[in-house]
Amino acid sequence: MAHPVPESRLVSPDVHCAHLRHKGMYVLTTPDPGEQKHAGTWDATAYWCTQTQKAMGPDGSAANAACCVAGNGRGCCH
Amino acid sequence: MKPFAYVKAANEQQALAALGRERGKVLPLAGGMDLVSLLKDRIATPDRLVNVKGLDGTITATPDGGLRIGSAVRLVDLQAHPTVTAQYQALMEAAAEVGTPQIRNLGTVGGNLMQRPRCWYYRNEEFPCLKKGGARCYSVDGENQFHAIFGGGPCHIVHPSSLAVPLVAFGAKVRIVGPRGEREVLAEEFFELPERNLYGETALRPDELLTHVIVPPARAMKSATYEVRFRSSHDWPIAFASVALQLQGSTVTDARVVLGAVAPIPWRSPEAEAALKGQPLNEATATKAAEAALAGATPMTQNAYKVQVAKTAVKRALLHAAGVSA
Amino acid sequence: MADEPMMPLDESIAGEQVAEVNLPATANPNSPYAWPKERRILSTRVNRIDGPVKVSGRAKYSYDMKRPGMLYGRILRSPHPHARITALDLGPALKMPGVKAAVPIAKVGGKLMYVGDEVAAVAAVTEDQARDAARAIKVEYEILPFLANVEQALQPEAPPVFEGGNVKASQTEEEGSITAGFAAAAHIVEQTYNTQVQTHVSLETHGCMCEWEGEKLTAWVSTQAVHGTREGFATSLGIPQANVRVITEHMGGGFGSKFGPDVQGIACARLAKEAKAPVQLMLDRREEHLAAGNRPSAYAKIKAGVSADGMLTAFEAESWGTGGAGASSGFPLPYIYTFPNRRRVHKDVYINAGQQRAMRAPGHPQGCFITEMLMDELADRVKMDPIEFRIRNLPPQAPNAMWREYFKIGASKFGWDKRHATGDPTPGPIKRGMGCAANRWGGGGRGTQAQCEILPDGGVVVRCGTQDLGVGTRTLIAVIAAETLGLQVKDIKVELGDSNYPFSGGSGGSTTAPAVSPAIRVTVSKVLQELATRVAPAIGVAAADITASGGRVHSKTTPGKGLSWADACKRLQTTPVSVNAGWEPGLSASGSSGVQFAEVSVDIETGIAKVDRILCVQDCGLIVNQLTAESQCIGGMVMGVGYALYEDRILDRNTAMQVNPNMEWYLVPGMSDIPKIDIMLMNQPERGVIGIGEPPTISTAAAIANAVANAIGVRVRSIPLTPQKVLTALEGERAGGTQ
Ligand SMILES: Cc1cc2nc3c(=O)[nH]c(=O)nc-3n(C[C@@H](O)[C@@H](O)[C@H](O)COP(=O)(O)OP(=O)(O)OC[C@H]3O[C@@H](n4cnc5c(N)ncnc54)[C@H](O)[C@@H]3O)c2cc1C
Ligand code: SF4
Repeated sequence: MAHPVPESRLVSPDVHCAHLRHKGMYVLTTPDPGEQKHAGTWDATAYWCTQTQKAMGPDGSAANAACCVAGNGRGCCH
Repeated sequence: MKPFAYVKAANEQQALAALGRERGKVLPLAGGMDLVSLLKDRIATPDRLVNVKGLDGTITATPDGGLRIGSAVRLVDLQAHPTVTAQYQALMEAAAEVGTPQIRNLGTVGGNLMQRPRCWYYRNEEFPCLKKGGARCYSVDGENQFHAIFGGGPCHIVHPSSLAVPLVAFGAKVRIVGPRGEREVLAEEFFELPERNLYGETALRPDELLTHVIVPPARAMKSATYEVRFRSSHDWPIAFASVALQLQGSTVTDARVVLGAVAPIPWRSPEAEAALKGQPLNEATATKAAEAALAGATPMTQNAYKVQVAKTAVKRALLHAAGVSA
Repeated sequence: MADEPMMPLDESIAGEQVAEVNLPATANPNSPYAWPKERRILSTRVNRIDGPVKVSGRAKYSYDMKRPGMLYGRILRSPHPHARITALDLGPALKMPGVKAAVPIAKVGGKLMYVGDEVAAVAAVTEDQARDAARAIKVEYEILPFLANVEQALQPEAPPVFEGGNVKASQTEEEGSITAGFAAAAHIVEQTYNTQVQTHVSLETHGCMCEWEGEKLTAWVSTQAVHGTREGFATSLGIPQANVRVITEHMGGGFGSKFGPDVQGIACARLAKEAKAPVQLMLDRREEHLAAGNRPSAYAKIKAGVSADGMLTAFEAESWGTGGAGASSGFPLPYIYTFPNRRRVHKDVYINAGQQRAMRAPGHPQGCFITEMLMDELADRVKMDPIEFRIRNLPPQAPNAMWREYFKIGASKFGWDKRHATGDPTPGPIKRGMGCAANRWGGGGRGTQAQCEILPDGGVVVRCGTQDLGVGTRTLIAVIAAETLGLQVKDIKVELGDSNYPFSGGSGGSTTAPAVSPAIRVTVSKVLQELATRVAPAIGVAAADITASGGRVHSKTTPGKGLSWADACKRLQTTPVSVNAGWEPGLSASGSSGVQFAEVSVDIETGIAKVDRILCVQDCGLIVNQLTAESQCIGGMVMGVGYALYEDRILDRNTAMQVNPNMEWYLVPGMSDIPKIDIMLMNQPERGVIGIGEPPTISTAAAIANAVANAIGVRVRSIPLTPQKVLTALEGERAGGTQ
């Protein structure tokens, strides 16, 4: 069936840890072309790590799209 | 909650026999509207509960034309009692404002007067505050928007009972029974400031019971309660006032003005009463009396707004009692 | 309550109707599954099919689940806002009566970041035993410095609590020339606005029941995503997804906070495994407030310019907010209106409090409140009616941007012409006022799969792995299936809320209706084609000529030729018709718009504001069920009343502990606080289905706050509008104050 846009615009299996999650990964949207125009860029994403189910990874550091990337030297990253 | 033993007392004697002397170890259970949440939140951890719903649950006329209200009378029955509605408007109005219909259906007069403070530090187990035997009152430099503007501390609760305020306005007494016999105490003296009684709010000792409230005859008294609360649905008052007036024409010959939710006890204002005596009751004199009532307020860091709210309550209670529209 | 939409396009508006960017997808009228032009059931008012079981208490929520031999789970949470665990001993808990299992959640050496952060969990025979056992767990903490609020975190001397800093600044966002914009301004407004932290207050708390059968886990979860939660359990527990089944028969609200098993779900599954018994672990109200998500606070210091003829010229904002411990707090700003020159920088401020989660229209109510307050202040400067001022500064009209028209329609319905200028001149303490605000939302979904069976006895079963959060999804499915098969809603059996049913995405972002509706339409249309093939010989026409309507399966060209539904199905003998299919483009779209109006009464002697009435004018594409669409509007607006007036997560400034983790002091509107609500749903059938869960909550608080300012003549730039804030503002005004 048609899945016209990538599953998550924020988390990619090529770049990010396999444990990183946010709500958008579970909700399938179609983009509203008006969105960008009206709202500018802003980020309200709440991330969590599936190892802890919290916004902090098992190492106690934040879990988000900026930190949970390949080559970050975090032992918890997969 | 902590496990406890349970005793169902059929009458006053049995109830008394089941009580103990140590504070907090044995507690009377009436409607449970307050006590059950205290138990669940582990603010109260008694070893035994004594069901006191078997105490007098009737309202009777006293020989001098007053009322004798049993502590087991439910708020819903108090509110609807013909003498109360006809002659003690301030009490009827206060009872009608309590909580929700469910709470009034179960809550009793005794439980209402003996209920514990709603201070949110007191009610959260995590805050070991002064009243619970701790070292500090968290409200002083904390979130005190609903705390006292009178009373001087060291604990800054507001007394939670809606009924206590009109009862003080009426000059009512409470009947207390205990192992040392029975006594009657003026409601005004029954409630005690924290400087005198930090761990309780009343003169009642752990081995005593409150069995009745005795209200003097109403005569030509005009009374009213005016409550200010934020939400229309059940919510605690920000401030309220009960007034009892004797009028000759429109001139006030005697006045009792009592404020609620502003101090650790029902807060009687002799200043407002003096300001009213001999004056015609109108918007201007009611405003003056309200100013007088709040002149001595000592608000905390977040609750100065309560002064204005309380003034409005006093003014509106006075006008409402006298049937003067603002 | 609602009015049937009438939308005669007013000439002057139609003239300006320039499509912006690229038009959002409208429905494709040539789709083989196109929505019927004549709607029998669609867009009418259909009662919820699960209404009777709900109002009679027979509906079983996760909270109500009972399993043989079940235990109750309970979590021990951090009493400290920031601490390191130096010792953790579950032993004493295991010795308590009735206790069957205990598991650690945090590790020794690990840090706890807020009061309510999870430490360990226990399971026992009764709920009270579990509570007592959790208290018996021995933990030693090293107490660390903490930040209880945004002001503390922004102090230069604040202790460094968060790795990488307590504050995270975003990129500056800039468009046009700020300098030129302010040069063109005749008036400049400079103010600071703010919104509070709001919690979700789902009536059913978070939690689940977990039961193992060997290596297979069945979990009854209060979740917005049965499939997502299956994935979450499997990934976290390291077991195959095929071994997990998640069930959500009925659900008591999530508002964006329930997208996975969560900490308590995983703890529950581990406890159940260890105890070898089903375990139920539902949070209580305190836990909900502390640790189950919230809407971040928002602050904005704004400088904005307007020209003498009422055109916005410039917007400069510094904004910040807190999403708790290490979570973001972004929101759109400015919201909707066109400022040709703008600059904004945002800072996420971290404090030691529970982390934010998506909450009904994340970011939008904050951006809306701040921008719409500012709009009224600017309109006042140029002495222009707020609606006229807004209409001048809105983006061009388009199907997903209908504000100009909605403002006009709404204004006439609401009686906006009776609005007085700022400050009710009526004598006496009660001041009345009106305000308005606009909203926008996406609400496009995709990806849902479904299965439909037509059984030889005439029964129709639709299965879909979506979930009904209480919004009426079950009924929506029945409506579409019945419309498509020419049957009645009661003829359709809907099965959902089970990860064993065909995949559907989580219910968030108002995507459920636009993802599910096309899937059902396509699947049911296909199953009807299949039925047609099977019964065509009996009817004596070609399968392609067969349709169903009025309880019959018949020829399109010679409608007299056909069979009753029951007779047609009898022809299936022992073999049902069964089809799996899914969402296709062309039946749904994204992008909705709406406006709201509020009228309030404010007692200036007590500071108490009461909302008298609200009107919402809202579109959501093709209305599937008028009744449940209106319910979404009502619920959204009631939540907006709470946001405007009552709700506030209050942390003690000295301990970072919440003083109101309950519903006694965390106030939500009760029955008598709910105003008269009017709804004008604007049907846009040509656009297909768009979600409506979120937009109606966005602009309620802004409209109310503007109405309060209009009533009392003083602006309270901070919600909730408590008596404390209203009286303080009035006092400031009397003292020659802030304006
Ligand atoms: C949501 C909510 C809103 C409320 N709003 C209000 C309000 O607006 N105004 C108000 O006044 N109250 C309010 N209440 C408090 C309500 O609990 C009381 O008003 C009620 O009357 C308590 O009566 P009860 O019989 O249920 O007392 P219980 O809960 O049974 O007892 C309360 C206390 O009194 C003691 N006690 C009971 N009877 C006796 C006795 N005869 N002698 C000595 N001690 C005794 C008990 O040991 C206990 O400590 C509210 C409560 C709730 C839950
Ligand atoms: S006001 Fe009294 S009850 Fe409240 S924190 Fe202070 S000491 Fe405790």
